[in-house]
Amino acid sequence: MNKKIKASAAIVAALALSLGAFAATSASAATKTYTLAYQGPLSGGEASTGTDEQNGVKYAIKVWEAANPGIKINLVSVDDEGDPAVASKVAPGVGANKKIIGLVGPAYSGATIASLPYYKAGNLTVISPSATRVSLTDPKSPTVKSDYGRPIFHRVVATDDKQGPALAKFATKGIASAKVFVFDDQSSYAVPLRGYVEAAIKKISTASLVGTGDSVINTTTDYSPTIAKIKTSGANVVIYTGYYSAAAIFIKQLRDSGSTAVFAGGDGVFNQEFAKLAGKSGEGALLTGVAGLADVDATIEADFKAKIGVSSGVYAVESIDAANIFLSGIKNGKTTRAAMNKWVKAYNFKGIAGATIKFNQHGDISEGGFAGFLVTGGKLVNKGPVA
Amino acid sequence: MKNFNLRDFGAGIWERANRPQRVAIAISAIVLASLMPFAGGSFLATPIAAYDAVLVYPVAIFVLMSLGLNIVVGKSGMLDLGYVAFFAIGAYTMGFLGMHTSLNTWEIMPIGIGLAMLAGVLLGIPTLRLRGDYLAIVTLGFGEIIRIVALNVSWTNGPNGISGIPMPPDLGPIKFRLDDQKGFYWIVLVMILLTIWMIRRLSVRRPGRAWEAIRQDEDAAELMGVPTFKYKMWSFTLGAAVGGAAGVLYGSKNLFIAPEMFTLNVSILILACVVFGGIGNIWGVIVGGVVLGYLPDRIRFISDARLLVFGLVLIVVMNFRPDGLLPRKKREKAIVKKGADA
Amino acid sequence: MFDVFIDQFWQLTFSGISLGFIYVLIALGYTMVYGVLRMINFANSEIFMWGTFGAIVASRDLFKYTQTSDPVTGPKLVLVLVVQLFAAMAFAGLVAVLVEFVAYRRLRARGTNRLATLISAIGMSIVLSEVMRLLTASRPVGSPRILEKIILTEIWGAQIRLDTLITILAAGAIFIILERFVKLSRMGKAIRAVSMNEDAAKLMGINLNRVITVTFLVGGLATGAAAFFYVTVYEYTKFNIGFTMGLAAFTAAVLGGIGNIRGAFFGGIALGLAEVYAASILGTQWKSVTIFIILVLVLLFKPSGLFGEAVTQTRA
Repeated sequence: MNKKIKASAAIVAALALSLGAFAATSASAATKTYTLAYQGPLSGGEASTGTDEQNGVKYAIKVWEAANPGIKINLVSVDDEGDPAVASKVAPGVGANKKIIGLVGPAYSGATIASLPYYKAGNLTVISPSATRVSLTDPKSPTVKSDYGRPIFHRVVATDDKQGPALAKFATKGIASAKVFVFDDQSSYAVPLRGYVEAAIKKISTASLVGTGDSVINTTTDYSPTIAKIKTSGANVVIYTGYYSAAAIFIKQLRDSGSTAVFAGGDGVFNQEFAKLAGKSGEGALLTGVAGLADVDATIEADFKAKIGVSSGVYAVESIDAANIFLSGIKNGKTTRAAMNKWVKAYNFKGIAGATIKFNQHGDISEGGFAGFLVTGGKLVNKGPVA
Repeated sequence: MKNFNLRDFGAGIWERANRPQRVAIAISAIVLASLMPFAGGSFLATPIAAYDAVLVYPVAIFVLMSLGLNIVVGKSGMLDLGYVAFFAIGAYTMGFLGMHTSLNTWEIMPIGIGLAMLAGVLLGIPTLRLRGDYLAIVTLGFGEIIRIVALNVSWTNGPNGISGIPMPPDLGPIKFRLDDQKGFYWIVLVMILLTIWMIRRLSVRRPGRAWEAIRQDEDAAELMGVPTFKYKMWSFTLGAAVGGAAGVLYGSKNLFIAPEMFTLNVSILILACVVFGGIGNIWGVIVGGVVLGYLPDRIRFISDARLLVFGLVLIVVMNFRPDGLLPRKKREKAIVKKGADA
Repeated sequence: MFDVFIDQFWQLTFSGISLGFIYVLIALGYTMVYGVLRMINFANSEIFMWGTFGAIVASRDLFKYTQTSDPVTGPKLVLVLVVQLFAAMAFAGLVAVLVEFVAYRRLRARGTNRLATLISAIGMSIVLSEVMRLLTASRPVGSPRILEKIILTEIWGAQIRLDTLITILAAGAIFIILERFVKLSRMGKAIRAVSMNEDAAKLMGINLNRVITVTFLVGGLATGAAAFFYVTVYEYTKFNIGFTMGLAAFTAAVLGGIGNIRGAFFGGIALGLAEVYAASILGTQWKSVTIFIILVLVLLFKPSGLFGEAVTQTRA
């Protein structure tokens, strides 16, 4: 190649580059891009929860982008592994990244508490689809200085102190003299919930607590000591606060031991996977939870599957609702953190499940409670709200 | 360049240098290290996680803990798989006293270190007579016990953990802010320098020689009149002290601690830092802590396969550089090899 | 406090023994490798985890059983169970050989320090569990119920269940076969020779690499058999189950005297019993604390475990 050709090649290349650059700028002038974030466990042992929730957010964004051409949403995935130690590592970066104007999440309460100081410092509004710990929105909690998330924390899920009584009531309904054995999985979700359940049982006149209860970390698969305790206590109702996979292992062992005691669990157990894993042993289990997407609207579920490629998972409704709150804010021109915070505080519209979403001053939704579900034929059948 | 060895090359420069040159090298290294938080705009930046926060934890705290564990594993050759226990004790001391008393971080620091050392002594008395892998499993068990106790007793707030731990008060020009973590980094850096200084002083004196003897052949050392138990105990408690100090800083930096932060994985990760970087060699251990602390956050963009890559890196580096990235001096190593097979 | 323990003593004992037999086989995996290499095989827990997936792949993908299908009966039941057992052992055995090849061989050839090998094995266990995590999208995997869990009879109030009885008998049989193999076969003798004195064994013409590969394989097969029983009893697995089971089995091996095959047996049973007893008396949350305290106490009085390192008393 001689010099001349080289030079002309360079000119052509430069031209092409500048043209490309020009094309790129004109394109970005037409479409505006805003940044939202999702925070939850996207890797590690809890990754399935985070992936399910993030799919909900992605779905909401897809639907919204189709309805609002010209605006693109850039979703930042913030992986906290559901682990407070990791959360306090990533949260400073998210808090400092001013492009992010709203965050769906964090998924877990522990990670939320670890992240909150940084989001408060950056005035970043967060809406959690699944952090249920009471202290996050409780101005009277003993840890109010650190846990209380006002003004930036919101959640579209009901709290453990509402669920505890609902679960206690649902589990003992229709039993003349309920002898209840309660145990937890030692997680920060399950231990407080167990406290609320036990307190509620004591208030029910036809029910009483029996046995010493138990705490079984969820990596255990042998429940024979717990079952021995249940048998000794003579319980006819067993309530487990923990997650679905351990619940499925437990219920199989309980049924195989010949026990016919009623089994009940909270929203940690409330998962289609529970019915699948537990098989026949899971039949008749009573669960409290909030209705899933397929339960709420089958056509949206079909659309979800078409757009995302997988079925919706846990907290899909909550994740979509949370994302929609931010998206409608963007549509209304709330594109700074401060404006977005005001928007969310004043938000008052219907969520996809039909209930009105409106936050009280602490960041909780005013409506929304728990429904009772009965496992029948491998499905979680909605038995209506537990009031 | 076949026999090129970075460690010996570095050591050579140091040995050939005269006193002013050594001071110059040390000062420029310290200055360089303290300027690290300002390099956040460069290729070093970590996606998603804030660079200055990553620099404090994991990087600097990993380095500090690795140096502490190196006293136990690298210097005196005891395999400790429960190092996280001391870290947890420090963090919980900070959490508990920070919440229930008006003491600040700097006042709690000596208490945390003291309690960690006490735990080291209490664990050491029954267990330091054990050798090798038996010691490993007992220390591992101790680490788990501390975590399970924290999970099940009420004053630690159980699985909910302790939140709202106060931040350290400013120390003169060093300020502690949530959105700017440079202050924390510099403080950990100071602690790292103190630890290095302590290890270097001890290494050339009686304890260092005793540890070396114990590591190479404990029976021979005992026969030669080295009070092995006493020096093993010293190395164990000094390691515990560094772990406790790291824990106090971590609690105060993180503002929130929970039992799930103190799993066996932390012990293993710190041990990996020590071995990966170059067991027994301070500079190697520092490199190990920096690399293994920093790497997972730098490669966040491969999100889901992050840990997989981490595991592969461990295998590959260990297979091709079994003495670590920066191995200890050849003289020390040669003797060890003979001793290890014995 | 003791009411459950007294009330359910025989039930707890029976459960503890059947759990113990699973520990015995995993502990064998640790002990075999330790015997010849003087090295904790940190990846053994993940070998176990891969074994559980082997058993599930056989029933779910080979025989096409689902979570809702009825338990199998008649001769087909035996066939399915045996295929599952072999699948679990094959998965675990292959992974064990892979671990040896990737994480150990090169380092051993260079005769370098033990810690490098330990970290390399830890790296391998991270890789194994992460690969499975990515394959299963972090989700738990249920196993179809193959064996109906019939309560055969009650002895002193303890239910003797078919699956746990099979576990005890079959795991016991597998243990005896492996023990005899190490004791009597030519290869077994070579393994013991290597564990006594590697250099002397080499001088006697023993192919060291082969012996070590076989040791890993045998350890992997035992661990795989444990994985099969685990799946049959608990009908569940997940990418992270290895850790808890592995830690317990490793503790059992140390308790009995690591490197000692009979020690692994008694250690495993003792650990299974200690776990259920402690859980029933103190609460399940204190189970592992109790076990570690027992371990420390045992090691204080018998620094090489209950049965000592009998394969080779000398550590020279």
